[in-house]
Amino acid sequence: MAVADTNDRRELLTVNMGPQHPSTHGVLRLELKLDGEVVVHCRPVIGYLHTGIEKTFEAKTYLQGVVLTDRMDYLNPLGNNLAYALSLEKLLQCEIPERATVLRVLLVEMTRIASHLMFIGSMALDLGASSPFLYVWREREKILDFFERMSGVRMMTSFIRPGGLVRDLEPALLESMSTFTDAMPSYIDSYEELLTANPIFKERTEGVGVLSGQDALDLGVSGPTLRAAGVALDLRKSNPYCGYESYDFAVPTGNVGDCYDRYLVRVAEMRESVKICRQALDQLPEGPVRTDDRKVMPPPREELAKSMEAVIHHFKLWTEGIKPPAGEAYVGVESPRGELGFYVVSDGSGRPIRVHERAPSFANLQALPKLTEGGAVADVVACIASLDPIMGESDR
Amino acid sequence: MPITESGLQSTFEAGEVTIPADGIPTVRVPLDDLTRAVDKIRFELDHSRFVDVTAVDRLTPEDRFELVYLFYSLREKTWLRLKTRTDSEAPSITSSVPGANWYEREVFDLFGITFKGHPDLTRIMLPEDWQGHPLRRTVPIGAEPVDFTVTRSAYGSS
Repeated sequence: MAVADTNDRRELLTVNMGPQHPSTHGVLRLELKLDGEVVVHCRPVIGYLHTGIEKTFEAKTYLQGVVLTDRMDYLNPLGNNLAYALSLEKLLQCEIPERATVLRVLLVEMTRIASHLMFIGSMALDLGASSPFLYVWREREKILDFFERMSGVRMMTSFIRPGGLVRDLEPALLESMSTFTDAMPSYIDSYEELLTANPIFKERTEGVGVLSGQDALDLGVSGPTLRAAGVALDLRKSNPYCGYESYDFAVPTGNVGDCYDRYLVRVAEMRESVKICRQALDQLPEGPVRTDDRKVMPPPREELAKSMEAVIHHFKLWTEGIKPPAGEAYVGVESPRGELGFYVVSDGSGRPIRVHERAPSFANLQALPKLTEGGAVADVVACIASLDPIMGESDR
Repeated sequence: MPITESGLQSTFEAGEVTIPADGIPTVRVPLDDLTRAVDKIRFELDHSRFVDVTAVDRLTPEDRFELVYLFYSLREKTWLRLKTRTDSEAPSITSSVPGANWYEREVFDLFGITFKGHPDLTRIMLPEDWQGHPLRRTVPIGAEPVDFTVTRSAYGSS
């Protein structure tokens, strides 16, 4: 509703919510116009976390770019690595060994679980329930420990690279992941006990921030937010990458499209992710985890002592980097927040001329006025939390 | 009906159809046809879900910027890319595609392309008083430009 035609109303109060507000998940500012407790107008203002990442890509080699993708979405670093690697592999027409593909699925689904855990914890915390946060942190910590054992880094692992993975996972680590995967469903039950039937949580989320399927599609919304509105679009099902077509999992959807549905969809998605992790661990084939295309991945160390060609490849790769043929590629993947893809444009040199991230949080935040206008100002917090925005990804 | 290269070519007579490395059919249309082409893609070809708008600075003397639109069909489960070239201006598609609102603001902010008919064409990433458009490739990358005689033609002398 526009402010100009509200002459008969009481005076509207303009409130700046954020950018420094604990419930804005970073630095999001909302310009709210309030009539008493009711939000009449909401204008999200973003850009406080703009770091020029897309510009920085132009100065980096393709391999250095992997490190930037981690930092866009700190809850989904491996998923961002994967989206970038897939776009580059499309450009390079490079085939990935089977074991690397299955391990990628395993790692990305682990990341999705960790991201949704954070969503549950922070949403409950924003609505005043502080204990779920402690429980989800316990399991998230276990996943981050896996990442640390695998790469030495807990969050910004840069572990998925064009051409495969950095290295293979140790059998002991896979064993720990398997134990965790078996135990995870009972942990999810315990979070649900705390929240799903909790009368206060339901009171705060049911019927709040309703988004219809058509509105969601018009605004470019994707991911769990779109599925909660009843549109069963999951790129893992509709446009399978990394062999997702061979995994058995369901696409949970909601009926109403309110904050409660968005919560339920994410919890159900975690259960599906656990199923996918289990299948990936069971059908993990033996073999290498890096492509043997020497223009993409460097030769193994022991070859350098024996082969002049290997030395040349090694030298060319670390001085000039990967050189994809001139062209462009976009591969859409399903991140925990929605459709994520890197549009990479190459001119045939060792550095991209343009890397653009189709960031799900950016499009999802556009729906915020639709969710909040007409509702109470206290519900704005629930609406932001239910979108699960990551400002680093939205502002880039 | 799945999209084929020849089918696309007959739908867009003035356009040029290619299929790049990622397999997403790409239509290149003149700037004047942009709005009509978007309507065709969304309604005739049923790629109604808006995905993305971005720009690429091609550094050509004429029609320097390439605008890249991406749409998705829920029925065919395919993407479709639309491209056009411009120097400084393009028609806004926000009135028919509300999701393009912020994307056009982003391209305006970072490339300096003006979208005619946009309801709120203001900077989105950078502060309102920012000078320049950093994603243009004539803007130096990463650091203050060092004043070498060979770079003066590109960046000017400091």
